[in-house]
Amino acid sequence: MTLSTSPGVVGQPVLRWQSRAKSLDGITAELGRIWSSIALTAEGPDGEERRVAARTSVMNLVVIAGRGEVGERVASIVEGLTGRHPSRTLIVTPADPDGPAWLDAQVQAHCVLPSDAAPETCSELVYLTCGGESGQHLSGLVAPLLIHDLPVTVWWPGEPHFESPSARELLPMADRVLVDGSGWTGDGMAGIAAMAKLPARHDIEIADFAMLRQARWREAIASTFDRPALLPFLGHLDRIEVHYAARDGAPGTANVVRPMYHVAWLASRLDMAVEEPFRPGTAPWSGYTGLLRHGRRRVQVALRPMESEAPRGTTLIVQLHATRSRSQLWVEVTAQADGVVVQASLDGNPMPERRFLAPRKREADLLAETIETAGRDPLAAAVLATAAKLVE
Amino acid sequence: MSTKAPVAPQPPRTIREERLARDGKRRRPSHHADVNPLREGLRLERVPDPHVTVLFGATGDLSHRKVFPALAQLWRTNLLPADWALVAIGRRPYDDGTFRMDIAESLHRNCRVQLDEDAERQFLDRVFYHRGDFADDQLYDTLTEKLEGMHLEHDTRSNLLFYLATQPSAFPEIIGQIGRCGLDHEVHAGGWRRAVIEKPFGRDLGSAIRLNREVLKVFRESQVYRIDHYLGKETVRNLLVFRFGNGIFEPLWNRQYVDHVQITVAESLGVEERGAFYEETGAARDVLQNHLLQLLSLVAMEPPATFEADALRDEKLKVLRAIAPPTRQDIAREVVRGQYDKGWVAGVPVKGYRQEPEVDPESETETFVAARFEVDDWRWSGVPFYLRTGKRLAKRASEIAIQFRDVPHRLFAEANTDPQPNLLAIRVQPDEGILLRFGSKVPGLGLDIRPVTMDFTYGTAFSTDAPDAYETLILDAMLGDQSLFTRADEVEAAWSIVTPMLDGWLDTPAPAFPNYAAGSWGPEEADELIQRDGRSWRRL
Repeated sequence: MTLSTSPGVVGQPVLRWQSRAKSLDGITAELGRIWSSIALTAEGPDGEERRVAARTSVMNLVVIAGRGEVGERVASIVEGLTGRHPSRTLIVTPADPDGPAWLDAQVQAHCVLPSDAAPETCSELVYLTCGGESGQHLSGLVAPLLIHDLPVTVWWPGEPHFESPSARELLPMADRVLVDGSGWTGDGMAGIAAMAKLPARHDIEIADFAMLRQARWREAIASTFDRPALLPFLGHLDRIEVHYAARDGAPGTANVVRPMYHVAWLASRLDMAVEEPFRPGTAPWSGYTGLLRHGRRRVQVALRPMESEAPRGTTLIVQLHATRSRSQLWVEVTAQADGVVVQASLDGNPMPERRFLAPRKREADLLAETIETAGRDPLAAAVLATAAKLVE
Repeated sequence: MSTKAPVAPQPPRTIREERLARDGKRRRPSHHADVNPLREGLRLERVPDPHVTVLFGATGDLSHRKVFPALAQLWRTNLLPADWALVAIGRRPYDDGTFRMDIAESLHRNCRVQLDEDAERQFLDRVFYHRGDFADDQLYDTLTEKLEGMHLEHDTRSNLLFYLATQPSAFPEIIGQIGRCGLDHEVHAGGWRRAVIEKPFGRDLGSAIRLNREVLKVFRESQVYRIDHYLGKETVRNLLVFRFGNGIFEPLWNRQYVDHVQITVAESLGVEERGAFYEETGAARDVLQNHLLQLLSLVAMEPPATFEADALRDEKLKVLRAIAPPTRQDIAREVVRGQYDKGWVAGVPVKGYRQEPEVDPESETETFVAARFEVDDWRWSGVPFYLRTGKRLAKRASEIAIQFRDVPHRLFAEANTDPQPNLLAIRVQPDEGILLRFGSKVPGLGLDIRPVTMDFTYGTAFSTDAPDAYETLILDAMLGDQSLFTRADEVEAAWSIVTPMLDGWLDTPAPAFPNYAAGSWGPEEADELIQRDGRSWRRL
C-alpha cells in the first residue's frame, strides 16, 4: 500500500492510494481500507492539510480491455476524468486463457481538487488482470465489486464479442454499453447487426462513439431544413449518398459504420422503411447501395468510397437530393479540417454556405459526454434499429 | 434553456396515419410540414443562427468582465455560429486593432478557461469597433450602413442581436435610435432582431413602466431579453429540476410542512470602484428588486404546465402578485435597512461605506436590506419569507433555506437534546450544492439526538466546468429562448413591491447610518426582525 500526500492542484488528478491484491476478497479489503483511513489528508495549494473527500456515487464503469495496452490507454483516460468521473472503475483484462486461473489487481484512488475551497473528490480504479478460467467468467469477477444501487456502464473498446459466453453473462448486469463501431474490423456491418439485438435481449442502452462523433453533422443537415422554403423538400427526398474515405475500392476494406449511421439517422427521422438493405457493388469503388421507401416514393441510398488520406471510413460528404413540384433541391455537407460546410442549391441557384465548427473529439471527451448525458437516448436507439435493418 | 435542443413536439396523427407511417407506407401528414423532423431527439446544444451581435457599452466594465469572456467561451466550445460577427460600440478612440488588443487582455484576465492561440485569433477577428456617442444620430446611420455590409461579408442573414450593456440612462435613447433607423424590423425570410437589456430595469415602478413603454414602442415583447444574471446560475436553474424533477420534495413544499423560508445574498466586498453608481442605487434596487424576488418566485411558484418561457414566467408573476405591497406600518416593522461602517473582513481592515470613493460622507444609501414577506396564496398563506442582502457582510454566500416545521409530538422525552426541525438548504454560491439536515441518534446506550446533514456538492458529482451565467443567458438569447429572462409585467410586479418601501424611506427621518460593522451579518434590527417571530437567521 502506498499513500501520497503531495499537494493537490485544482483540476489536476493525483494518485492518492495504490495497493495490490491477488483475490476478490483482497480487492474488497483494499477498497475498504482506502475509505476507512479516516486520517487520510493531503496538503492543499495553500499549504494547509485538508480532508480527502469520501468517494462520490455516480456510477460503476466496467471496461473490458482485450489487451493490456488497451487497458493502460483506458486507465489514463479514466484518470483524467476524475472529478467528472464514475465512482468506481473496473478495468478487466483477460490474459493467458489456457493457463491456470489467477488474478492480479491494482487498487487505486485518484483524487482531484474541484476548487480551492472544496475538499478533494476521489474515485476508485481497480485494474484487474485475470488468467485461465477466471477470464472466462467475467461476471463472477465483476459482480461482487460493483457498488450496488448505482448504474453499471460497460465500456467495450476494440472489437466486442457480443455473442461470447462472457458477454452473455456480463451484459445482463449492465444498464448501458459503450462501444466505438468505427474501430471494428471489416466493414463493421456484422457488428451493427449483433449490437442491435442487445437492447431487446438485455434491456440495455447502447452508446456508440461513432454515432456521437457525428452530432455536428446532424446539426448541420437539420439546420438546412430549418428554412421554411426548404422544409417541404424533406418529404420529397429521392437520393441520399454518403462518401467515405477509402484506400482501395474493394468492399469490406473500410469500416462503413459512420457513413451508414448518417443514412440510418435520416431514415429513422423521416419514417422511411428499408426496402432493400445495403449490398456491396461488384465493380471496384462502387461501394454499397440500398433502397428506402418514403410513402409511395422510393429513395436511392448509397455509400460511396472516395480515395482519401483521411482514416478509412471517415465521412467526407453527405449529399441529399429532392424533387418537389418540378423544383430540385441539392444539399451537400462536406467535411473540413475544423468542421463541416453546408452548401445547398435550389433549381441550380446556390444558397449561402454555412459552416459548422466541429473539432474532432477525443475518446476522453466522448466518454465524459456519455457519462454526463446519462439516461435514455431514443434517437440513438432508433438510429441503431434502422441501421440494423440496413445491414440485414 | 440551451443545454439541449428542444425536442420538437410529435405532430398529432390519426390512428390510421400513425399505422401507415410506422409501416413506412406513408409519409408524415403534409399538414404538419412546419415541424422539422430532423430536429427530433438531437441532444447536442443547438448552434444559434448566423448573426451579428451589436454590443453597446463595449468599452465598459461589464463588457470586459462578463460579456466578452462569455462570448469567448461560447466560441471556444463551438457554440457560436461560424458566420458570426460582433460590432462593439463605445465612445473611446479605438480602432479594430487596438480594441482587439484591449479585449485580448481582458480575456486573459477574466476567462474561465483560456482560449488557445488560434481560437482567440479567430474570435477577435470577428470583433469590429464602431465609435460614437449614443445620443448622436450619425452613430446609428453609419452603424446601419456597416451592418448592411457585414451581412453580405459575413453571411449573417440580417439577424441582429442588440446587447445594451450601458448605463441604464442610455437605454431609451439607444432603443429609440434603433427604431428610428428601422434596425428593429424583422425581415420576412429570416432576419430576426432581438434586444438584450441589462439590469437595473428602471429605478422604481414609474420609471420601469416608462422604460417598458419606450422599449415596446420599438420591439415586441418576444424580441426583448431582460437579463437578471442570477437566473442563469447553475444552482438556480437546478432549483427547477430539484423541485419538479424529484417526486419526494414537492408534496412537502407548502404551508403544511414548511415553517419559513430564508433567502440570503451576502457579499463580503464593498462598493469597490462603483461608489457613484451605488449611491444612486442601494441594496434594495441593486439586489432585492431583482435577484432576491426572482429567487423567491422560483421557490414559491406553482409547477408550470410546460417548460416554455411564458408558462414559467406566468407562474413566477403569480407569486409576485401574491405579495402585498408593504404599507407604512409594514415598512417600519418588517423591513430593515443598514449601511456598513468600517470593520474587518477576512482579517483585513476595511473602510466604512461613507469613506468609499465617490460616496457622499453623509450618504443615506442603504448597503443592507432585510425584509419579511408573505405570499398570500393557497400554498404559502402564513409562511414568512425572510430575505436579506448586504455588502461587506461576514462572507460571500447566497443561499435559499427551507425550514420545515417541527415534529408534532415529542416522542423522545428522555433524550437530552430535542430534535431540530429539518432543513433544506440550496447553496447558490460559493460551493454550489444542496444540504438536507435531519436528526440522528448518537451511537451509545443513551438516547441523544444530534442533527446530521446529507450534503450534495456539485463539484463532487459533476464536472466543475459549469458555464458562467452569462454564457447560458447570452446563448439562450441567441437561440431565442426567453425562459430565463424577465418579462415586462414581472419587472413591474417586482417594482410594485419595492417602490413603496423606497417611498416610505424618503418620508421618514434620516436613518442612523452607519449601523453595522463591516464583517458582521448586518444591523441588530435585522436579527430582531426575525427573532420577533421566534426564529433566527441561519449562520452561513
